[in-house]
Amino acid sequence: MATENKKRRWRLSRRGFLIGAGVLGGGIALGYGVGLPAARLKIAEVMDSGIGQPVNIDKGPLVWIDIAPDNGTTFYIPKIEMGQGIHTALAQILAEELGADWQQVHVIQADTVHGPVDSAGTTGSQSVSSMWPVLRDIAANLREMLRAEAARQLGKPVAQLKVMKGFVLVDGASGTGAGSAEGQISFGELIQNKQGAWEVPKDKPVLKPMSEFNIVGQSMQRVDLFDKLTGQAIYAYDVRLPNMAYGAVARPPTFAGKLRSAAKGTAEEQPGVIKVVAEPDFAGVVAETRQQAAAAVTSLALDWDAGKLWQQAEIEQMLEIKDGAGTVIQNDGTGTAMPANDAVEAGQMIEAHYSSPFAAHAHLEPQAALADWQPDKLRLWVGTQMPALTRGDVAKAMGLKEEQIEVMPTYLGGGFGRKYGSDVAISAARLSRAAGRPVHVAWTRKEEFQNGYLRPPTRHILRATLGADGRISSMAHLQSSGEVANSFLPAAMTAVMGADFGAWRGARLHYDGIPNRYTRAQVASLPIRTGWWRGLGLLANVFAIETFVDELAHAAKVDPLEFRLQHLPAGAGPDSTSERLRNVLMGAAKQAGWDTPLPQGRARGIACCTDAGTTVAQVAEVSVEDGKIRVHKVVSAIDPGLIINPDGVKAQTEGAITMGLSSTLFEETRIENGRVSADNFDAYPLITMRDTPEIEVVLLQTGLEPHGVGEPPIGPIAAAVGNAVFALTGQRLRTLPLKLV
Amino acid sequence: MKLNVNGKDFEIRNRPGSVLLWVLRDELGLTGTKVGCGAGICGSCTVHVDGVDTRSCVTPVTQVEGKRVTTIESLAQPQADGTLKLHPVQQAWLDEQVPQCSWCQSGQMMTAVAFLAENPHPSEEQVVDAMSNNYCRCGCYTRIKRAVLKAAEVAA
Repeated sequence: MATENKKRRWRLSRRGFLIGAGVLGGGIALGYGVGLPAARLKIAEVMDSGIGQPVNIDKGPLVWIDIAPDNGTTFYIPKIEMGQGIHTALAQILAEELGADWQQVHVIQADTVHGPVDSAGTTGSQSVSSMWPVLRDIAANLREMLRAEAARQLGKPVAQLKVMKGFVLVDGASGTGAGSAEGQISFGELIQNKQGAWEVPKDKPVLKPMSEFNIVGQSMQRVDLFDKLTGQAIYAYDVRLPNMAYGAVARPPTFAGKLRSAAKGTAEEQPGVIKVVAEPDFAGVVAETRQQAAAAVTSLALDWDAGKLWQQAEIEQMLEIKDGAGTVIQNDGTGTAMPANDAVEAGQMIEAHYSSPFAAHAHLEPQAALADWQPDKLRLWVGTQMPALTRGDVAKAMGLKEEQIEVMPTYLGGGFGRKYGSDVAISAARLSRAAGRPVHVAWTRKEEFQNGYLRPPTRHILRATLGADGRISSMAHLQSSGEVANSFLPAAMTAVMGADFGAWRGARLHYDGIPNRYTRAQVASLPIRTGWWRGLGLLANVFAIETFVDELAHAAKVDPLEFRLQHLPAGAGPDSTSERLRNVLMGAAKQAGWDTPLPQGRARGIACCTDAGTTVAQVAEVSVEDGKIRVHKVVSAIDPGLIINPDGVKAQTEGAITMGLSSTLFEETRIENGRVSADNFDAYPLITMRDTPEIEVVLLQTGLEPHGVGEPPIGPIAAAVGNAVFALTGQRLRTLPLKLV
Repeated sequence: MKLNVNGKDFEIRNRPGSVLLWVLRDELGLTGTKVGCGAGICGSCTVHVDGVDTRSCVTPVTQVEGKRVTTIESLAQPQADGTLKLHPVQQAWLDEQVPQCSWCQSGQMMTAVAFLAENPHPSEEQVVDAMSNNYCRCGCYTRIKRAVLKAAEVAA
C-alpha cells in the first residue's frame, strides 16, 4: 500500500493566528501558532510515509511575516539553511502568495526569541512539502487582511482590488506596482495609516492560481549567498560574544570507553586556563584560546575504562541476516511472499547479496556551539537541524526548563543528518556554567570521526523468480542495518514500530508490476552509535534493489531500461508513482542517448527510485582507467512535483549525485580495537573535482504539490554506476564502495 | 609580534605554537576563513600569504611575520556608497550560484584567485588540477569548475 503520494490536508483554525506589532519595530507581524502537519501524523502514517518526523507539538508560532513601513518584508523562517536553499524556496512561496516584491524580501532564521520553534526539524526532504500548504495559507490570510484595509483606505470594494509587488491596486488603475501612482498603495503605507482593525478572514482565502505564479517556479538567486561569498555569514563555529572563552572536552580512548574517575591533574597550571571541570561523567577545560584549551585537556588526570575493544568482524556478525528475524514491511501480492522452495530447486530463483559500509557525514563545519550561562537563563548559538530537540535535550541535561533556554540556530556548514546539536551544546553549557563566561566549543575533525555517529553498515539478500515470460513473478528483499532513526526515538515508539523506518527507507520494492513483493527489515543495535545520514537507508537499499533488477534484466536477456519499464504498469494514472518512475526513466534515457552507441571502452548503466514523493532516474556513463572506475557523465531526471526553484532542484540533484558518488567510489570506515579506523580525511578520502563527472539534470513536473529534493537523487547513483561497470566489464560489484577485482 | 592582514598591521601576542587560522578567526575576528580538518587536507582554511594560497590551519603564525596575509574578507572592494563590489571570482561564484552550505567556499575562492593570478587563461584540465585539493561536501564541484572558467573569461 501507499506507494502513492499522500496529500496531507492542512487547515488553519482561525484562532491560531497571532497578530502583533512588527518585530523589527513598526509594521505588522503575522504568525501562526501550531506545530507542523507532520506532527499530526500518527505513528502508522509516519511508518507508511517512510519518512517520519519527531513528534512533539509545540506552541510557538510557525512563521512570522513582518512588513515594515518602507515595505521591507521580512520572513522569519523556522527551517534551517544548510545549503539546500530552503530559505530561498520558502521565501518564494510566501512572497508569491502574499504578493510581495521579491526585491524587498529579507529572510531571517527564526530562533526561540524571534519567531517560531520548529518542532519537526529540518530533515527528511520535508521542508518544502510540509510547509507549502501552511505558508500559502498564512500569506493568503495576510494578503486578504491587507486588501480589506486597502478597501477602507481607497474607498473601493475589495473585489476591485488586486495585489502586485507589495502594492494593493485598484483593478484597471494605471498603477504599475511601483512608486506612488493614483489608485495604488503600498503594504507599508497601508499598515502605517491603518483605519480599521486587523481581522483574520472568516473563510479560508482563495489561493493564487498556478497560472499567475511569477516567483514560484523561477530560479531566484539564493538569498544567503552574498553574505556567504564575502565571508560575512555567521555559522555556529563563527559566533562571537564579548568576553568569550574556548572550551575543550576530554574524550574516551574508545567508543565504549567510560570515565572511572576524573581529577584536574596539572590542567589548571597550563597556559591560558580559566577553569577546569572534572566531574564523574565529564571533564573539560576552559581557556583563553582554543589551542590552549585543547592542549590543557591532555593535562587532566583521567582514568578511563576502555570497555570492550570491538572489532569489525563482530559488527559483521551482528548484521547477519537471520531466518525469521526482523519486521515485514512489504507483503504485496497473492502468492507466497518468499520464492517457493520448489522454484529454488528448479533453478528459477536468482539470489544475490549486497552490502554497504560504515560511512561518515564529513560535513566540513564541525559541530559547534556558543553557550552563555546566565543566572536566569541559558543562551545558545548552535548548529542544529533540530533546534527544538536541542533545546529539550539541553534543558534535561542542565536541569533547566525549556523556557529558560534561548536557542539561536545558525547557518550550517553542512548538515546531512549529523547536525543534531545537543552533544556540543551540552558541553558548551556545562563549561559556561563552570567558567561564568560565554564558552565556545567546537569539535575537531578527530572528534567528528570518533565521537559522533556514523551511517550504519547494511546487508541485503535479494531473491526473485523469473516467470516463463521473462518477467519477475516474485521478489524479496531481506535487509539488515544498524540503527538510523531508532537511536533518536523514545523506546516506546521503536517498540511499536518494530523495525527502524530510517534503516528501511527505500527498501521496499518499487515496481508495481511485480505481482509478489516482500521486504523484511532487521535492525541491529550496534555497540557504536549510528544514525541519520543524508537519505537514511536510501542509498544502500536502492543500490541493492536496483543492482539486482539489473541482474534480473541480464538474466532475462532484456535491455535494463526496457526491463524496468516492463515492471512499471503503464496507464496507472499520471500522478501514480509507476507513471512518474516511467517518465524519469525515459527522460533520463532520452537525454543520455541510451540507445546510441558509445565509444570503445565506455558503457552506461541505469537505475531509479522513489523517495519523499519524488521520482528519480539516473544514467551513468563509465570507463575503466588503470583498474579504476571513472564516471564521465551522469544524466538525472527528477520529478519532484511542482518545482519552486528550478536551479535549486538542479543544485540539490548535482550535490546528491556527487555525494552519492563519493560513497559509491571511495568512502568506508571500519571498527578496529574499539575505535573508528579513520581520524581524519587522510584515512577517509572524499570525492574531489577530479572524479566528479559532467552532470545533466532533466526536470519533470507532475501535479500541483511540491515534494522532496534534498535526498531522493542520492538513491540511484551507486546502482547506476555499478550497472554501467557490469555492462563494460562483466564484473558484478555488490559491495560499496565499488572496487574492481 | 606584528601581523599584516588585509593590508593592516595588527599587534598580536606571540603564544608558543600559535597557528595562523586561530589568530585570524579568534583573535582578529576574521571568521570568513573556515576550518574543516585542521590537518591541511580539505582546503577550507585557505588564505594567501604573499599571494600564495596557504593552508592556514597548519601554518605557524611565526612563519608569516613580515609577510602579507590576505583573507576572503578583503576580496570584495568597499564602494563609496557603503556597498561591496564583488571580486570577479566572487561574482562568477554568484552568477553560477555555486555554493550550497558554503563552508568550503572561502577556501575554494582563495585557491581560485591565487591560481588565476598565476594562470589567467587556464584549460579545463588545469582548473581541475588546481581545484582538486579542496573538498566540497555538498558536491558543488561542477559549478566551481564553471565559475573558475567564467572568472578567467571575464578577466580576459
